[in-house]
Amino acid sequence: MTQEVAASGQVVMGAPFWIATAIFLLTYGLIVTDKIHKTILALVGASLMILLRIVTQEEAFTSMDLGVDWNVVFLLVSMMIIINIMKPTGVFEYIAIKSAKAAKGKPFTIMAIFSVVTAVVSAFLDNVTTVLLIAPVTLLICQALELDVVPFLITEALASNIGGTATLIGDPPNIMIASKAQLDFMAFVYNLTPVIIVVLIAYVISIKFIFGKRLKVKEELRQRVMAMNENEAIKDPVLLKKSLVVLAITIGGFIMHGMLHFEPATIALAGAALLLLVSGTKDPQHILAEAEWSTLFFFMGLFMIIGGVVNVGLIKWMSIKVLELTQGNLIGTSMTVLWFSAFASAFIDNIPYVATMNPLIIDMAKQLYPNFSGVQLLHHPDIMPFWWALSLGACLGGNGTAIGASANVVVCGMAEKMGKPISFKKFMLYGMPLMVESVIICMGYVWLRYYVLKI
Amino acid sequence: MKAKDLMIPIQDSLSPENTLREAVNHLRIAKKGEEKVGLKGMPVLGKDGKLEGMLSMTDILKAVHPSYMSLMNLSNFTWDGMVESIAKDVANKRVEEVMSRDVITVKEDDPLMECVDLMIKNNIKRLPVVDRAGKVAGMLYEKDVFFEIVKAMLDDDYYVINS
Repeated sequence: MTQEVAASGQVVMGAPFWIATAIFLLTYGLIVTDKIHKTILALVGASLMILLRIVTQEEAFTSMDLGVDWNVVFLLVSMMIIINIMKPTGVFEYIAIKSAKAAKGKPFTIMAIFSVVTAVVSAFLDNVTTVLLIAPVTLLICQALELDVVPFLITEALASNIGGTATLIGDPPNIMIASKAQLDFMAFVYNLTPVIIVVLIAYVISIKFIFGKRLKVKEELRQRVMAMNENEAIKDPVLLKKSLVVLAITIGGFIMHGMLHFEPATIALAGAALLLLVSGTKDPQHILAEAEWSTLFFFMGLFMIIGGVVNVGLIKWMSIKVLELTQGNLIGTSMTVLWFSAFASAFIDNIPYVATMNPLIIDMAKQLYPNFSGVQLLHHPDIMPFWWALSLGACLGGNGTAIGASANVVVCGMAEKMGKPISFKKFMLYGMPLMVESVIICMGYVWLRYYVLKI
Repeated sequence: MKAKDLMIPIQDSLSPENTLREAVNHLRIAKKGEEKVGLKGMPVLGKDGKLEGMLSMTDILKAVHPSYMSLMNLSNFTWDGMVESIAKDVANKRVEEVMSRDVITVKEDDPLMECVDLMIKNNIKRLPVVDRAGKVAGMLYEKDVFFEIVKAMLDDDYYVINS
């Protein structure tokens, strides 16, 4: 399939352009309405892109620019495998019970420690996974202390989205950005972790003001928590030791992957394969089957849909419009990307959003620096802040509403099952101000670091 | 032998609006046939007499088992009195929130093997038997099926050999 983009840089709006745009808009529109499962929609959209000859199957399956980004898929599936092997060891129950006891059963201290633990764990694991591992213990602790679970669930979901922003592997948008922008693990640590630490500190202080005074617990109930023996959580100490060693090697691998010139997915795949090998798993079927295939196929479908609209020039057309709007002002563009991403991600899934924004930023870079290409273009000092603004906005923006991030959806589901439903309004009442607070901090950070200090 | 020959005609049922407190009391004092034995499960019928669900002992156990306990391995961290206090909390829940909704039923003229097949494949101990109008006519219990099997075995072999 030939690129529908004329040499002059103008986008040719022929039939393929409108067909691809229609598939794209229809799929995204239906995803927002939530009537049909998003994975099914993504796969239907992807099939149409190939069937209607917008992209070829070869492009959809093998092209980095127009098809499935296997870097993202393999990184996600490998981390899922590692977690699925580790879960039965009881390590996550252990961490959560230990945290509650470290807080001596005091409610706000528990909330603060759980938030920080959730944020730190989220920096290395998927946010939804983290919440699914911490929230059940939180519900148990709240039941023991006869506390309202809702503030704890909301603060954990928000903390997981904050923590996930800190590293390359913490949140799918970062994994996607890293792959497209060819940024390594340490680049994320240098550029995002510092501001996320500040955001997290501000967050804990904020929830102290919001919830601190409301949380009271009877002395005798605290004994229930103090009587819990976290060591009983460990069901398989041998597998736990093996898992922790492999996890340490894997994280070490992530830290080194840039220097060693390996993609992050290679490191994750090697880690998962090593853990499968040393764990003594007889039949890997159930461990592999437990990976979140629906999420993985959602990614694959989206990548193919985005490939279609990239191929016909829609994304390029959008990038021209964005640059017209910001008139090539770099600070203005960064701030627009940051705030637009935050509010967009608060209401729509940040994964399709980032899937669209990645090629858009690359196209913007091409418009701004037509003489550069490859890594020189992607890592141009003027372009780098766009990537960080996109990551910060898209990841933190999820905190704005109950549907902004998968972790929020998960905790709302849990609350409902407990007979304590969290309304859209109630979540937003806490989430939106805290989201705006975090994005204001990021705005100051991006401005100061990349446009004043230029480091 | 058909379902209707072995079923116990329906005497007791619950309404979806009953509270769990009312429901468990009803189960406790219910009769099966002539004897007052208490029941381990009962059909839940709507106003029109149509079957809406079944409420069994397992459903009651599930009602006091917090959903988060199914997500992780937390049994080591529970405390004395936890079940009792949750039981008090859920006592005012309505039957329809707790009952099993997808109930497997048999028709009056269904053969006994069909009933056995459904019991084994779905791991159920009681089957509502519905009449042509779709109303519950009676209940078929695992125990009564068992006694029927016992009778068949003793008639054909044991009885003959011993006489």
